[in-house]
Amino acid sequence: MGEAAAFTAALLIALVLVCLVLLALGKDPLETAQKFINGALGTENRRADVLTTAVPTLLCASGLLLTFTAGLWNIGIEGQITMGAIFASALARGVTDTQPNLAILVLEIFAAALGGMLWALLVALLKTRAKVNEIFGGVALNFIASNILIYLVSGPWQAPGNTPTTAPFAAGALFPRYEAQRLSLHAILIAIIGFAVVLAILNGTHFGLQLRAMGRNPKSAFLLGVRTQRATIAALVACGALAGIAGAVQVLFVRGRLITGVSGGVGFLGVLIVLLVTVRGAWVPLVTLFFAIVPVGSNALSISMNLDSSLGNVFQSALVLIVLLANGLCERRRTPVP
Amino acid sequence: MHVQIDQITKTFGTLRANDAISMALDGGRIYAILGENGAGKSTLMKILSGYQPSDFGQILLDGAPVKFATPADALRCGIGMLHQEPLDIAPMTALDNFILGSPTGLLPNRRSARRAFIDTIKRLGFTLDADAYIDTLTIGERQQLEITRLISLGARFLILDEPTTGISAGQKEQLFETLRDLAKHDGLTVALVSHKLEDVEALCDHVFVLRAGKLAGDAPMPLSPAQMVEMMFGKCIDPEPRPAQHSTSADVLRLDALRVHDERLTMQKVSLNIRAGQVVGLAGLDGSGQRAFLRVCAGLEQPLSGRAFLSGEDVTACGYHERARRGVAFAAAGRLEEGLIAGLTLAEHFALAHGAGRLRVDMPAASAQATAQIERYSVRGRPDSRIETLSGGNQQRVLLSMLPDSLALLLLENPTRGLDVDSARSIWARLLARREEGTAILFISPDLDEIVQYSDRIAVFYGGRVTVIDDPSSLTAAQLGQLIGGKAL
Repeated sequence: MGEAAAFTAALLIALVLVCLVLLALGKDPLETAQKFINGALGTENRRADVLTTAVPTLLCASGLLLTFTAGLWNIGIEGQITMGAIFASALARGVTDTQPNLAILVLEIFAAALGGMLWALLVALLKTRAKVNEIFGGVALNFIASNILIYLVSGPWQAPGNTPTTAPFAAGALFPRYEAQRLSLHAILIAIIGFAVVLAILNGTHFGLQLRAMGRNPKSAFLLGVRTQRATIAALVACGALAGIAGAVQVLFVRGRLITGVSGGVGFLGVLIVLLVTVRGAWVPLVTLFFAIVPVGSNALSISMNLDSSLGNVFQSALVLIVLLANGLCERRRTPVP
Repeated sequence: MHVQIDQITKTFGTLRANDAISMALDGGRIYAILGENGAGKSTLMKILSGYQPSDFGQILLDGAPVKFATPADALRCGIGMLHQEPLDIAPMTALDNFILGSPTGLLPNRRSARRAFIDTIKRLGFTLDADAYIDTLTIGERQQLEITRLISLGARFLILDEPTTGISAGQKEQLFETLRDLAKHDGLTVALVSHKLEDVEALCDHVFVLRAGKLAGDAPMPLSPAQMVEMMFGKCIDPEPRPAQHSTSADVLRLDALRVHDERLTMQKVSLNIRAGQVVGLAGLDGSGQRAFLRVCAGLEQPLSGRAFLSGEDVTACGYHERARRGVAFAAAGRLEEGLIAGLTLAEHFALAHGAGRLRVDMPAASAQATAQIERYSVRGRPDSRIETLSGGNQQRVLLSMLPDSLALLLLENPTRGLDVDSARSIWARLLARREEGTAILFISPDLDEIVQYSDRIAVFYGGRVTVIDDPSSLTAAQLGQLIGGKAL
C-alpha cells in the first residue's frame, strides 16, 4: 500500500471520527468544516497567524528529527524552548531602542540558542553519565524550567501590576514586523534555514549516518567506531539550540513579552509531527503547515461555533494515532526477508 | 510423524531460494539437511517452522496437508524449531519462558507448569534450574530449555538449526542422546541442519543435500565426510595442510597479572605475551571466561586488576575506540546484535566504518569500497543490498571484510560461525594472510578442530584458570577436548 495512500486513508478516518464527535455535540460537520477553513485561511491575517505558529514548530520539528533519528526521545524540548525564551528575555529587558535593531536581535537569538543548548546538555549528561532515560530527564527538566519561568515573571522580572508577565519589550528587542502583515520574514527565513541544515546533516554528513546507525543498533554502531556518547550529546544539544531559537521567536515575535506558558506547546507539537513522518524528513514542512492550521482554525471555531478549541487537538492527536496504527498494520503485512 | 514436503518453492525478487523441493521424512528417524551458505537451508526451515509462507507447494503431516501462518500455528500442528540463536527472553526466568506460548487461559498456573517443567526436564535427561534467569544460562542450557518447551507443547517434528555451536562436549552428548531417545521411543521426526559433518556422522540416519535452492541429492548413512562434501559442493576438498609456525620477536600484546571479571567464576590472574604474527586460539566451555577475556583485551570491559600493554604502551585505561586507533580490532559472535546494523546497506556500513573524521559522506567511494570487498570475500550481495537480506554466512563475510587492513591485534569471537567448510577455509586464508603481515590474532572457537588446526598457541580456559599450550603441534582435538573438560594432560 503506497505511503501517500495510507496517509490519506488515515486522514479520512480521523475526519470521520471528528465528524462523529461533532454530531454528538449537535453541530453540523459541514458548517464546522467551512468555518474552520475560513477561520484558518480566510483572511490575510489568519494566514499570517498560521505561518506564525508554523515557524517555531518547524524549528522544533527539525531539531527533533536529529534526535529521533538517533533513537532519542527529546521530550525535554519544551523546557529547552522555555530556557531559550528566558535567555533571550534577559537581554531584551535591557533594550530601550524604539526601532528594530538587527544586531541586538542576533545577540538575543544566540543567547536563546545557548539557553536551549545548556538545558539540552543537562538531559544529555544525565543520560550518558548517569544513565537516566532522556524522557525522564526531559520531563523533570521541563518542570524545573517552567517553575523558573513562573518565578521570574511573578517576581524579579514582573511588570507593575499583578499578572505573571514582564512588561512588553521595546521594539528594538523584537523581530522586525511588517505592519500590514502579521509576519516576520526573518523568523520564517531562520526556520527554513534551520530545516535545510538539519536535512543536509541527516542525508549528507557522516554525523547524520552515525545518528541513523545509533538509532537502529547502538551496540553495533559503537563497535563500528561511532562515539555514541558524543553523538548523543551532540544531537541533543543541536536540538536544544533549535528549540532555544524557537523560544526566542515565541517571546520576541509572537508574544512580545515573557509570560508563563511561553512555549505554547510547540515542542510537543513537534514531537507529534516527527512521530508522523518518522524518517521521511522531507515531509516535515508540509505536515508542520497542516498542523499549524489546526490551532488557528479551531480558535476561530471556538468563537464562531461555540466549540472548545481543544477539538483541534483531538483531530491532530487522532490523526497521529491512526497513522501509527496504519504503519503498524503495513509492517505486519510485509513479507519477511530471508 | 511422517512429514512430506512437496514442491516447496520460494522466490525473493529474482532469487529462487527454494526451487521445487520435495522430501519425505519418516517418524522415528534423524535426518541431516546439508548445504553450503546460501543453498536455501534457512529459507526451507523458515517455511517449515511457519515463520514464512512458501510461494508454491505444500506440507503434509501424516498424509494430511497442513497450512499455517505463524510459528505458533506450526507448533500446534506439531512442528517445532530450535533456532541457532535461542529465542528466549533474557530478563525472565526459565520457568516463565517455559510457560510462554502455552495455552493456559488468563492467569498462568505456575504450580502445574513447574511440575510439567520438572517432569519433562527429567525425561529428557537435562539439568536446569527453573528459577534461573535466562541471561545467567549458557547457550547449551538455553537450548535445553527451548527443546523442553517445544516437546511439552507437543512437537513431533523437531528441526534443529546448528544446535552444537557453542555448547560443551558434555552437553552435545546429552543432546544427541535425548534426540535418539525421542526418535526411537516417541517416534519423533528429527531434522538437523548443520555444517558439522562429524555430528552428522554421529547422529543421523539419512542425509538431504541442498545446493543453489534445489535438492541436490539424498543418501542414507553411513557416508564419509568426504562423500558429504562432494554432494554439497560437487567437488572434493582436500584437508588443509597445517600453516607453518611464524613469529617475529616483537611483542604485540603483553598481559600482566590480568584478572578478568566473570559473574559466575572467580578468574585467576593471567599473564601472557603474544608476538606479532602469532595466532592464539582460546578454547573452553561456554562460560569459562574466554569471552570476558577477549572483551577485556578489546577494551569493551575493564579488568578487575592487572595491566595490558600494546606494543609496549600501557593501554589498561584505554577504552574500545582508543585501542581501535592503536590497531586493535574486534569482531563479535552475534553479528546482527553486535557488529552489523539491520536497515543499513552494505555501502552504508563501509561508509560508517571507514569514513570517520570527514564531514560529508562520500557514498560513491563507500560503494566502490564495498564492491571491492564483496569481490575479495566472495560475498553474495550488492553494495545497495540491506544487510539483513544476506544469509548468515554472507553477513559473517561482510563483518570480516570491514576490518581495517594492517592491524596490530585482531580479536575474533567465533570467526567462522555459520559458515560451511569451503567458506571457513577461505576466511582463514584471509586471516592467515594478515598473520603474514604481522597481525597477532586471538580467536575463540567452539570448534576444536579449528583451534587445533590454526593456532600457534592455545589458551585453555577451565574453572577460572588459563593453561597455555605453547606447542600444540602434537595435540589432537580429542586431547584438547579433555583439557577443556578439566582433565589434565
